[in-house]
Parts: sequence; structure tokens; C-alpha cells
Amino acid sequence: MKWNHSTFINSFLLVLMFCTFWSCQDEDNTIVDRDYQLVWEDNFDGSAGKAPDASKWVYDLGIGPGNDGWGNQELQYYTNRPENVALDGTGNLAITARRESYAGRGFTSARLNTKGVFAQAYGRFEARIKLPWGPGIWPAFWMLGANIDQVTWPQCGEIDIMEYRGQEPNLIYGSVHGPGYSGGAAITKSYGFTNDRFDVDFHVFAVEWGKDFIDFYVDEVLYQRLTPEDTPGEWVYNQPFFIIMNIAVGGNFVGFPTSQTPFPQTMLVDYVKVYKEVN
Amino acid sequence: MQHLKHKIAALFLFASLALITVFSCKRDIDGLAPATFPTTPEVFIDGFSAGLNYAAFGGSKVTAFDVDAEVKYKGTASMKFEVPDAGDPKGAYAGGGFITSVGRDLSGYDALTFWAKASKAATIDVVGFGNDFGESKYQVTLRGVKVNSNWQKFIIPIPDPSKLKQERGMFFYSEGPENELGYTFWIDDLKFEKLGTIAHPKPAILDGQNQVFSVETEQKLNIGGLKVAFNLPTGIDQSVDAAPAYFTFLSSNPAVASVSSAGVVSVADAGKAVITAKVGELNAIGSMTLNSSGKSVGPATPAPTPTVKADSVISLFSNAYNNVTVDTWNTRWQFSTAEDSEVKIAGNDAKRYRSLNFVGIEFSSKTINASAMTHFHLDIWTPDPTDLPKTFKVQLVDFGPNGTFGGGDDSSHELSFSRPTLVSNEWVSLDIPLSRFTGLTKRANLAQLVLSGEIPNVYVDNVYFYNAGIVAPPTGPTVAAPAPTRSAANVISVFSDTYTNQAGTDFNPNWGQATKVTQLSIAGNNTLRYENLNYQGTQFGSNLNVSSMTHLHLDIWSKNSSNLNVFIISPGPVEKAVVLKVPTNGWSSVDIPLSDFSPVALNNLIQFKFDGNGDIYLDNLYFYKNAVVSTDPTTAAPTPTFSAANVISVFSDAYTNVAGTDLNPNWGQATKVTQVPVAGNNTLLFTGLNYQGIQLGSNQNVSGMTQLHLDFWTANSTELKVFLISPGPAEKPYTLKVPSSGWTSIDIPLKEFTPTVDLSKVFQFKFEGNGKIYLDNILFHK
Repeated sequence: MKWNHSTFINSFLLVLMFCTFWSCQDEDNTIVDRDYQLVWEDNFDGSAGKAPDASKWVYDLGIGPGNDGWGNQELQYYTNRPENVALDGTGNLAITARRESYAGRGFTSARLNTKGVFAQAYGRFEARIKLPWGPGIWPAFWMLGANIDQVTWPQCGEIDIMEYRGQEPNLIYGSVHGPGYSGGAAITKSYGFTNDRFDVDFHVFAVEWGKDFIDFYVDEVLYQRLTPEDTPGEWVYNQPFFIIMNIAVGGNFVGFPTSQTPFPQTMLVDYVKVYKEVN
Repeated sequence: MQHLKHKIAALFLFASLALITVFSCKRDIDGLAPATFPTTPEVFIDGFSAGLNYAAFGGSKVTAFDVDAEVKYKGTASMKFEVPDAGDPKGAYAGGGFITSVGRDLSGYDALTFWAKASKAATIDVVGFGNDFGESKYQVTLRGVKVNSNWQKFIIPIPDPSKLKQERGMFFYSEGPENELGYTFWIDDLKFEKLGTIAHPKPAILDGQNQVFSVETEQKLNIGGLKVAFNLPTGIDQSVDAAPAYFTFLSSNPAVASVSSAGVVSVADAGKAVITAKVGELNAIGSMTLNSSGKSVGPATPAPTPTVKADSVISLFSNAYNNVTVDTWNTRWQFSTAEDSEVKIAGNDAKRYRSLNFVGIEFSSKTINASAMTHFHLDIWTPDPTDLPKTFKVQLVDFGPNGTFGGGDDSSHELSFSRPTLVSNEWVSLDIPLSRFTGLTKRANLAQLVLSGEIPNVYVDNVYFYNAGIVAPPTGPTVAAPAPTRSAANVISVFSDTYTNQAGTDFNPNWGQATKVTQLSIAGNNTLRYENLNYQGTQFGSNLNVSSMTHLHLDIWSKNSSNLNVFIISPGPVEKAVVLKVPTNGWSSVDIPLSDFSPVALNNLIQFKFDGNGDIYLDNLYFYKNAVVSTDPTTAAPTPTFSAANVISVFSDAYTNVAGTDLNPNWGQATKVTQVPVAGNNTLLFTGLNYQGIQLGSNQNVSGMTQLHLDFWTANSTELKVFLISPGPAEKPYTLKVPSSGWTSIDIPLKEFTPTVDLSKVFQFKFEGNGKIYLDNILFHK
């Protein structure tokens, strides 16, 4: 399968229609056509309740290596039970956050990744996702540098293809974290709908990543291009990254859930696909 | 080239919209399209939008709303609402509606939004739209709007915008004082919007619960708890009350229960039906399951009308009296499953309870002083089985001088009723003396009546306290006439439950009389009643020959008759009246010698007749002859079989008697004493007994004996006692049952006479009573 990108101008009308939080400001966003070839995918086909393909996904379990809510004061306990992660039987992966007492925590959820299974530098990384909602719900589709165990975070780099706060269901964020610009100082940009939300239909979240650039997309819309000039510290994105998907509950980025947060909340992932650029 | 394809599709869609618009214009020109209504979204931005009017709700402070140019969220003015203090004479609350003279088409929007702030943190009771001061068919209400001194945006989602093609109710509000204090709130930028950022509509009926109801045919139920929750742009759910017209209701079994578009369920037959609903294509959560038992079973006739005079009654519920205020007939206490309703039975009101386990009936706001009352009355009717051990319980609760529950001065008592008082499918009148409520130590502040038991369906009527002392006398007997004891062989009966009556008797032949004749059951006994007697005949089925009879018997009862005669009639007619004594004190049994009716032909009776006045109850109308009763025994007393060694005999042919006994000492008695042989056996005879002694020849020590034996025979004595006497004299009587039926042998334990009588020196007997007595075998034995 090949991807052929039309010019940015072709997307211009739609950008105007949907985007308010991003102002179409400069020539950095002029992009060239790229041809991509599919190299890795999971379409999450299978019967309901089944675990996703074990040859493609591994799990982060518990409350994080530092017992600190994965470094973010997140409130959930990650499990790989079907209650928290399973195929839905209609071609989607369902990651479900629940309000329940479990292993000393008040919430459960799941976090999957391809660490040690699949990692790649450059290409198009995309997922088609219908997001959950509610205050304190923090789903993400993101990547970490595969050398994290050698150089640690944030030196390994982090590319957040999509993050979202359940109390702002019409906004998503694309970010990078690196040395000197991580956590609250990450380089980030949001993309939003004025009269739609990300939790009522599926949307495609993607980055197109090459040497010294990362372009962030929602559906057909490029809303952020990052290059080494945009990062105050070292550009650490010229090495393989692996993929992560999760729903966090609470945490520094999103704030606590409230009694009004509807539970359970499910993120449906139609597919995850990774392409390589063909020259 | 997937991206490109998307764009083509989008362009095509825009083009289609454009085409539709153009086409639509064309139709307008042709005059075929329905009139269109303005789609103006603004309600109040800086002033009233086109066609908008304001009207205050009834009872509200009509000046509460004003336009404020000082405080505003944006622009030049806002809407100001001044909530009055409690007790404001100009109105108790702020409330009103903004309606347009011409309806607007709001189907292109998904919410009404506004900004609001208040002079202090407060919760506005209700705001909403769709109230048009008329049908308000599409009303939506948001309750409990929390405002504070900062401007905040509020969103009231439209459950189904496609319904709002011609809406006039743009906005309404209602808010009362908070903690009795008024305050001010402002609303600005009030408008309909197409937000697109409200999502996940969740309609619900019955507040989202699956409820089960036991119902019956013809019952109607409103489906309440109609709500639609939307997830707001803040990620939280907010629920609004939505009018039934947003919902489509569905019955799983319309033959059992149908449901109207207004959400009213009508039960049509026995069976099960489940009512569900949709808003648009969305299934509402919650359901109403109806288990119908079919047609209701209830009394066909009203409870008996009370006859107690109104001035001696405190009535809680009766059509016969003015009733005091009862706060509630169903306090719905926790765990009570009782459902109450008011029903009409042949025009008479009654209370009906279903699923009754217990129910509180409360009149605490104005307690009842029943100190002067003697009884509590209520009538109940149940279709349920009343076999034992099922009970119906009545509890009265007095709140004591403090007039409130608790405080240590309350008292109460519960009484339980069961079979035979309790019967099924009949009105049961409970007249309960208040003295039976022994735990109810006070009754000056009665505040609760609690009904409970194991009969889940109960109709209740005529609930009142009364004073039986000043009560009008009951107009009829409450007990049956005494049952006759004469042998059927000696009786020709016309009207009696005891005998086989003459066939074919007409108890109400039409002789032009005014008397009303009924037969009724009194304490289970069939009784004849003449109301408003002037005269009344009874036509025998065939001529009666009563010439072998000696008397006419009848039982009569009347409180109000002052004149009553009875006639028997033979053809001619030949009739003769006998005067009956009225009024009676209770049942009066009358035996009239048939000779009193001479010259009526006793061998050819055809009719009875009564004349006189008042209300008369009659029973046991029969002719009889006295059985031939022998006044003397024809057989000897049975010969005793005690061993002589165990006997001390006073008078017996079977043993050696104590020597020297005087069977007729002169104690001044009137009794005539003789000894007569009866079938060859010497027998002692007392005639015309008043009292009679027997003086033993010597003191007898009978302490080694256990019983006094004697045989007696009397046809006419109605009283007879035997005394044993020791010196002093120390005496003690023992009552013998008379008249006897043939010879009666009795062995009286001697301990009946101790310790009064010294058994070691018994020296006299005495008999007291009346009549003619035969005695034999007077002896002590062990």
C-alpha cells in the first residue's frame, strides 16, 4: 500500500473549517508528497473478549516502576485482564478504564506497547481511535525511544501522537519531550473542533516523521510540524521508537476524575499502522 | 489517493445542500411547502429578540424580572431576576416565561445556552425552555442550577431538535428564596446554538430504573422520571427533565397494557407487559414491568351505613359524617408496600389498600381527642383468604401531651383480628371498645392509626370513634333468637332454623300492607324482619292441622313497637288476636296456649297475621305440644356395687344403714317427706321441697371415705343442693344438676366439703331447693 500526500494547499479548506487552536502561520507547513509503504499493522480482528495479538503487544502492569503512578501521579492500576483490555469482536481493541478497588487503587485500566517487539525510526505512525470522555480521563497514543533503558527518559525522547483530556472532549494534543524540554516544558500543540468531539466518532491520529522533522496529523489535517529549530534542547528523534497506547486516570496532565466522571470509559482502536517512506 | 476522495465527497455534500436549498425555494414559489417559521436563535442578547414577550408565573413576584444595563456579560444589557425574601407580600418567588408570538423552528440547534451569575452562591430551582403557557408539549427543564458571583456558561441540551419546528417557549425559570433570603441573578447571551460539543445522549424513563408494578385492569399509571442526560463539553453528564412528547413509548403486550404518546399506561387485561421508550432511535434506559392480575375484586355493595348519631362521633372517613382532617392515608413508611386509593362502591366512598403489609394513617397535624369516646369503628372487606392464622391488626397511637412523636409520652396498642371475626368477601364491622387497647394509656392526642396483617387487599370504610353511651340504640338485635330445644317430633314449624319448616310458606303475600318484609341473618341465624309494620300476613303453603298441638311459640324483638298483635286464621276468615308485650328487652320468647285463639279452627289454619307498629324481628314461629313428662320414676335407682366393707350407708336397701337416723327431723321445713317403693325398691321422696334435714343416729367418722354417693330423680326441680354438716354447725353445700334425666347417680368427692366440714364427725345432711325429689342410696364410700 502506498500513500501519496497531496500538497498542504489541498487540505486548506478543511483546515479552515475545523481548526481554531492552530493558526495556519508559516511556510514550515508546506509539505511535500511522500510515498509510504505499510510495514507493521494490527487491525484488532478477532472475537470479543480475546486479548490482542501477543506477538505484537506487551503490557505495562501496576502503578509504575517508581510506585508513583508512572511518574505522573496517575491513579489507575494497569492490568491485562479482559475487563481492561480486549478485542471488542467488531474489529477494535477496547481499552477500558474502570472505577473499582483493585490492588489498593481506585481505578483500573490498561497500557500496551511494542517495546522489544517492534520499533522503527521514521515513517508514518497512525491509529484510528474513538476516544473516551469525562474529567480525569487521559488516553494517549504515543511513542518512546527504544534506547530508554540505556539513556533513560527524557534523553530517549517521547513523541505523543495524541493525548487528550476527558474534560475537553473537543481537543487533542501532539507533543515531543526531550532533554531540557520534558514534562510541563514539552513542546506541544493542540488541535480542536469547535462543533464536534473526539469521542463520538473515530479519527485518525498520525505523525509523519523523517530526519529532522515530525508532522502531526488529525485525519487529513496537518496541525503541527516540529524540526530541531523548535526544540530548546537536543533533537533526539533520529533513532527507533516503539508504540504505546493507554488510558490513564488522573495525573499531572489531566487532573483528578470527579464524582461526575462517567465510568467505565473505553478507548476503541480500529487499527495501528506503521509505514516506511519509499524513495 | 484517499484524501482526495474524501474531499470530493465533501464537495458533493455541499453541492447537494445547495441543490436542496434551491429546490426548496422553487417549491415555495409553487406555494406547496408548509409555512416556514423563523429560525432566529437569539432569545436575549442585549434586549428582547423579535416577537419575544415575558409573563410572570401565578403567585410569583411579577416585578422580579427586569432588563439591567449595568451588569452584563457582554454587550449593553442583561436579564436581571430579583428573587424575593420569604414572606414578600408581592410574591413568594421569582418565576416566569419568555414566549414568542410566532413559533420558531429550532430544529437546527442542539441546545439553549446562556451565561449567568448571581449576587451570591445559590441554586436556581429550575430553568428551561418549551414552556409556552399552554400545552408545553416539548418542555425541557434543568433543575438545580448552581450559580455564583462569576459569569458561567450553562447549556440546556435539546433532547431531539427535530421536534422543535414551531416552538414558542424560549425560556422559563422559577426560583424561591434561599434560606428565606432573596438574592439577584443575571442571565445574558441567552440563545439557541448548534454546539456539536454535547454528546452521548442517554434517555431514561423511571429515572433509569427497571421497576415492577402489580396492577389490575383499568388502572392507569403515568410513566415518570423522563430524563435525557447529555455529556457536556466539560466531559460531565447533565440530565434534564424532558416532556413525554420527546419519547416514543412501546408496550411489549398491548393487549395487557397500552401506552399513550403522553406516557400514560392503561391496563386492559391480566398478564404481563413491559413498557419501554425511545428518543429518536435511542433506547431509553429504565422500564416499567406491569404484572396485571386482571379485573379487580371488590365489594359490590357499600359498607353498612353507620347508625351512630353524628354528635357522638369523631369520624376519619365516612360518607355518613363530617370527617376530621387526616394528613395522609398512607405514610409510606420504610418497608411498607401498601398502595392506597379511593374508590366508589355504588356511589359510596371507600379506601382501598393493595399490597398491604402495614400502612400508617396519620392525623398528627391536628391530633384527635377521643377521651370522651368509648369505641373505635371501622368496616373492612377483603377478597383474600382469611383462614387461620391470617390476621388483620389495628393499632392506635397517641402522641401524648406534647402532640409529637416521641418525647416519652406516647402510648399505643395493637389488636389482632382473625377468623371467625375476619371473613372474606363480606363487610366486617369492627366495633372495638377503646378499653381493649390496654396499652393506649391516653387518647387525648391520637395521631396515628396503623393497619397491618396478612390480608394484602383491604377495603376500608366508616372509620370513626364513637361514644356508645350516647349512641342511638341499635335498631336490630345483634344476637340470634334463642334456639328452640323442643323435640322436632312435637313441633310444626313455620319459620325456624332449628326445624324443618312447612313448605311453600309465603312470608310476604300482598295484602296491601305498608310493612317491609326482609329475611336477614343475625349472628348466622335467619330472622324475619317487619319494618314499619302496619299489618302483615303469612300465607301457609297448605292448610295446617295443629289440633294435636297445645301452643304457638314465637320469639320477638322490638325496640320501638308500642302495639303488636298476632293472629292465626282459619278459612272464613276466622281469626283471633293475641296481644304481645312490646317493646321487648332483647329477645322475648312467647308461648301462647292455642286455646287463646278460639274459635279459630285449629285443624285448618291458613294464615298468620301481625298488626301493630314499629320494627319487629321474629323468629322460631312454630306450634308445639308439651311432651308427656312423667313426674315419678318407674324404675328403681341403680343398685350400688361398692363392697360393703368400703361403705358407710345412710339410706340404701343394699347396705346396712347407720342406726337411729331421723329422715324427717323437724327443722321448721315445709317439705313433705315420705318413703315410697319404686319398682320394689325403698326410695326417699321429698315433695314441695324448700329445705330438708336428715339427722344421723350418731356422729359418723367418714374421714376414711372418699366420696358421698347419692341417686336422685326429679322432673320438675330447678334447684337442688346437698349439704354435709358437722357439729358447730359447720356445713357446706354441693349443687346438683336438676332436673335430672332419669336417675342420676353422683359421687361427690368428700374434699368438696372440707375443710369447712369436719369429716370425722358428720352428723347431719340437708337438702335445699324446690320441686319433687326422689332420693336413694345415700352413702359414703371409698
